[in-house]
Amino acid sequence: MTAAISADRLTKRYGDRAVVNELSLSVEPGSIFGFLGPNGSGKSTTIKMLCGLVRPTSGTGSVCGFDIEREDEGVRRSIGYVSQSFSLYDELTVQQNLEFYGRAYGLDPERRALRKKAVIDLTGLPRYADTLARNLSGGWKQRLALASALLHEPQVLFLDEPTAGIDPVARRELWDLLFKLASDGATLFVTTHYMDEAERCSRLGYIFEGDLIAIGTLDELRATPGVATPGTIRFRVGTANVMAAFARVRTLDYVRDATIFGRDLHIVANEGIDEARLRADLTAAAGRIDAVERIEPSLEDVFVALTRERGAA
Amino acid sequence: MRKPFDTRGFRAVLYKEVIHVVHDRTTLILALLLPIVQLLLFGWAINTRVAHISTAYLDEDRGAAAVQVLDALRASDDFDLVYTATSREDLRQRIVAGRVRVAVDVPPNFTAGVRAGRPVQLQVLIDGSDSSIAQEALGAASSIGLAVSARIRGNVTVAPLIDVRPRMLFNPSLRSANFLVPGLIGVIMQLITIFLTSLSIVGERERGTLDQLLVTPIGSTGLMLGKIVPYAIIGFVDFLLVLSAMRFVFDVPILGNVWLLLLLSVGFLISSLGLGLLISSVARTQAQAMLMAFGTMLPSILLSGFFFERDSMPLFMQWVGYAIPLTYFLEILRGIVLRGETMSALWPSVTAMLALGAWLIVVASVRFAKTTT
Repeated sequence: MTAAISADRLTKRYGDRAVVNELSLSVEPGSIFGFLGPNGSGKSTTIKMLCGLVRPTSGTGSVCGFDIEREDEGVRRSIGYVSQSFSLYDELTVQQNLEFYGRAYGLDPERRALRKKAVIDLTGLPRYADTLARNLSGGWKQRLALASALLHEPQVLFLDEPTAGIDPVARRELWDLLFKLASDGATLFVTTHYMDEAERCSRLGYIFEGDLIAIGTLDELRATPGVATPGTIRFRVGTANVMAAFARVRTLDYVRDATIFGRDLHIVANEGIDEARLRADLTAAAGRIDAVERIEPSLEDVFVALTRERGAA
Repeated sequence: MRKPFDTRGFRAVLYKEVIHVVHDRTTLILALLLPIVQLLLFGWAINTRVAHISTAYLDEDRGAAAVQVLDALRASDDFDLVYTATSREDLRQRIVAGRVRVAVDVPPNFTAGVRAGRPVQLQVLIDGSDSSIAQEALGAASSIGLAVSARIRGNVTVAPLIDVRPRMLFNPSLRSANFLVPGLIGVIMQLITIFLTSLSIVGERERGTLDQLLVTPIGSTGLMLGKIVPYAIIGFVDFLLVLSAMRFVFDVPILGNVWLLLLLSVGFLISSLGLGLLISSVARTQAQAMLMAFGTMLPSILLSGFFFERDSMPLFMQWVGYAIPLTYFLEILRGIVLRGETMSALWPSVTAMLALGAWLIVVASVRFAKTTT
């Protein structure tokens, strides 16, 4: 099966600076590809190149078999794009926004009416059909953006931080929708900063300062050298006094690394250390320790490790 | 309660705002340069004394006295002799076509009459459409008549020998409304179209909706046309309204063909929309677009010939005026309304206006395509 999205050494330079540097990847049809990386690492530029909005400096790419430079028309017809910020028309109603995009994609009136109804139903917008877009809340605006990107039944959907700034419930519902689309055969290319979202993707890529430094399934990434160092194990420590515990673990000679995640401390320690030993060593410094448990490296651990490795190199 | 004034808050806002201003280089440069450039342009262009009125001349006498009149015309700052006519009809045609503002006709037997000491007549035709030029021409022509008489007679105490007979063609009552109102129509139309188009496209860019449009299969020409046609229609309706007001409120008669005028006004709208498109392909924000549109406003009013006779301006200012669609449309508008001109006289202005419009649209499209990929 040919890839739905592929990039071969795709590069974008502005002057001397490579915003995206020789990026190669391929995404299988019907899968959800999670594209991660810190802000400013080149995520949006990559998406814009794949959508034909930004011309690559070098390298090639294709979407649904269409070359992104030479066959941009074909690319446009087969993709939907949901951008970072809400980019529909505030002064148009939900219906009118969809009507406009339906026409923009050249759908004939009959199909337009059918598709409008279909996407409105799919995204749960029926009761807002005649509401002005400006009066929708953040989550509903994103649904409208998704609805208009789906009108022409694109095979590939690019979503640039679709859930940024919307509440957890709306976020979960939007992801349920994305799963439904993928199970219906669409290919999704999603950027996000939320690790729980990333963990739901079929495959992941991590871009850092323009370089794609990791790509694979969640399990593959966890096994990346540098993340899972042989001879080490991971613990999660829950305590009300994270800062004190953090200060203490850094003085322990069997601790290789420690990172704070909210009210938890993630610790990489030498093999052979057990929960009781760790609890005993930390209680003196932090007072009450609520929990100590062995964990698998989380995605966040993976990225922290990868980013650090790059920073050190 | 919020304090009415605190220096720390003030300094914080000032700090942020200075960064804003310095970072937005384009707006900064525009804001700093526009006023001084405009002032310089108009300081030079504004010259309320009318001079160098283009003048045609017909010598039916071919005698010594005719030469004296001709010399006096040449020596005068007020008149520029630009054409020597071959017949009365030719002379009249020149003025009807708007090529000259004044036509001087020295009748047969002029010199003979002067020699015999008989009072003679000097026929002066004046284009009255611009009342200020007409007044100036009237005064200057009479004083030339007096001066030449005095030279021939040797004194000025007796009644002048040469009787200057001015005749106003068009707008004989020298109403300034007849001249200013058609011009005003052109100015208003250009402003409206430039502001509307430039703000509308830049607005899309600013809101981020432009990217969303560009991922659809809409072509860039389709996009541009779709954006400007509504404003072209608004502009055309505006034109009909102000033209009716001119005719029925200000009572300015339309001597020429109204349908031709309407047709050519569409050409003018397209040209000024081109200027609006060019602005929107350069401006990043609506504030920049506003400044640029404002930047076109004063030159359009002052250099197009709306207020001030272009012939009286320094050559450089005249060239600046050629880059403004309004300059050509004013020629067309006044030509048709005030002098009843037809295509045979108007074609140079029409061609230039359409060529300028086409050039503006092409440049804007090319720039637009570049900035979006």
